[in-house]
Amino acid sequence: METIEQAIKENRAYYCLDCGKCTSVCPISWREPLFSPRTMVEATKLDTNGAVLHDGRLWMCLTCDRCTQICPSDVHFIDFVRDMRILARGASEEGHCSHGATIQTWMRMMADPSLKQNRLDWLTDDLITAEESDTVYFVGCLPHYEALFGKIGAQGVEIAQSAVRILNHLGIEPIVLADERCCGHDLYWEGESDTFRQLAALNTEMLRATGAKRLVTTCAECARTLKMDYDLGMEVMHMSQLLAQNESQLPNSISGKVTYHDPCRLGRHLGVYEQPRQVIAALGLEMAEMAHNRGRAVCCGTSAWTHCGPTAKSIQVERLREACAAGAETLVTTCVKCQIHFRCALDDPHLHDELNIEIKDLTTLVAEAMEVVSANG
Amino acid sequence: MSEPDSRIIVYTCNWSAYSGLETAGSQGLSYPANVHPIRVMCLGRLHPGLILKALELGAAGVLLLGCPPGECHYLFGNTRAEELFQQTLALARLLGISEKRLKLDSLASGQGQHFVTLVRQFAEQAIGESRAAGQEVP
Repeated sequence: METIEQAIKENRAYYCLDCGKCTSVCPISWREPLFSPRTMVEATKLDTNGAVLHDGRLWMCLTCDRCTQICPSDVHFIDFVRDMRILARGASEEGHCSHGATIQTWMRMMADPSLKQNRLDWLTDDLITAEESDTVYFVGCLPHYEALFGKIGAQGVEIAQSAVRILNHLGIEPIVLADERCCGHDLYWEGESDTFRQLAALNTEMLRATGAKRLVTTCAECARTLKMDYDLGMEVMHMSQLLAQNESQLPNSISGKVTYHDPCRLGRHLGVYEQPRQVIAALGLEMAEMAHNRGRAVCCGTSAWTHCGPTAKSIQVERLREACAAGAETLVTTCVKCQIHFRCALDDPHLHDELNIEIKDLTTLVAEAMEVVSANG
Repeated sequence: MSEPDSRIIVYTCNWSAYSGLETAGSQGLSYPANVHPIRVMCLGRLHPGLILKALELGAAGVLLLGCPPGECHYLFGNTRAEELFQQTLALARLLGISEKRLKLDSLASGQGQHFVTLVRQFAEQAIGESRAAGQEVP
C-alpha cells in the first residue's frame, strides 16, 4: 500500500453513494457521533494533503464488518481502514494500544526467527499428539492470554487442552507445533504489515513442513487470518466447523439455556453462523438467541487490543444485557478475545447484580459434555 | 528482538528505590554504565508490556525496584507490582526467555550502597543468561 489514492481505488471507496447505511449500523457511531465510516470515506476522497492520516478516528474502527455487509455499493470499508492504517503508520501515527501494548510486544518478539519458545507446558500426558498427522491444531496465543488475563478468569489453556481432548475423542492425534507463532491478526488490522508478514512467513514455513492436509484452530481470529490472509495450501477450519461435521459423535449430555455470541471474524468475515449453533443443539442445550444474532451480531467492543475505553465497555455491557434479556444462563462464544472482553465487563462490581451470566468457549463446553458422559460410564 | 545488548533496565519507584539511587549518586558510588534506571511514580503503574518491551528492544535484563513490603506510598502498589511481575514471568517463560533476566526487589530510602550491590549482581546474572541463550553481548 503506497498511496491514499491506491487505498481508495482498491477498496472501491469511489463507489460510495454517501447513503449513510454504514454509519447507521456501526456500534462505534452509535456512541461516538464524530465517528462515521461514511464521512471517513468522503473526507479521504476530498483530502489533498494527507491530513486524514493524522486523524485519530482512524483507529476507532473495530473492523467488525457490519458496515461492509450492508453497503449497497460494495465499498470494502474495513480493508480501506486497514490500508489507511498502513499509510498512517508510515506517517508516524499509531493507535492507542491497551494493556501497555503487551500483546503487540509479544507478537513482535515472536517475529524473531531465532526465538526458541516454551509454549507447550499445557500439553498434559493424557493428551495425545503426533509428529505426523493429517491434522494440525493451531493453538494461537491461548496460553499467553491466560497468563495475562487469568485474574479475570480467562480460559486459554483450558480451551487448548479441551481442543486436543476433543480431537482425540474424534480419533485424531493432531500435530501441535512447539515453535508456532502468533498468526499476526492484530498487527494485520492495525496496519503493521511488515511484522505481520514476518510472522506469516515463519508460520507458513512450519505449517507446510508438517505435510498436514488440514488445520484446526479454536480461535475465530486465527481461523480468519490463516484462511484468508495466508497461503497455506491446506484446509483451514475453526473447531466449531469440525465439530458440526462430526455432530453424530457429540454427546447429548448437558442441559441449560445458552445464547451464542457470533465473533466478527467467524461470523461476518468467514460466514460461519450455523455450525456453532448446530453443536450447541447437539449437546442438548436450549438456544436463546439474542436480538442481534448471526450477521447482525454486535462486536465484543474492542479489536486488536486498541482503543479500549468507555465506548468499548458500553458495547460490551449492552451485549451482555442482550444475552441476559434472552434468558440465557451462559453466553457461549468461539473467540478467546470475546471471552476476555466480556469477562472484563462483568468484572465491574456495579454490574454484578444486573449481569448474572456465565461466559464459556464452545470448545470447553463440548469437552465438559464429553466428560459428563465418561463420568457416567 | 533487536541487536544483542548488554543494557540493563532498572525501573525504580519514585519514593523509596529512586531515593536509594539518588543516595548512591550523592555518595559518589558508581554502578555499571550499562545500567539504565527509569523512574516511575510506582511500580504498580508498570505493565508486563513495558517490561517485555525492554527485552524486545534488546535489553539483557529488567530489574524492578520498589518500596519495601508494607511501605508502598500508594498502599497497594507493591501488591500490584507483584501481580504484574508474575504475569510477566509467565509470559517470558512462554516466550522462552530465562526468568533470570527479570527480577523484582525492593530498596528502602537512602540505601545507596545496597542499590549498587543489587544492580551489579543482577546485571552480571542477566548478561550471563543472555549469553547462555546465544546472544552475543558486547
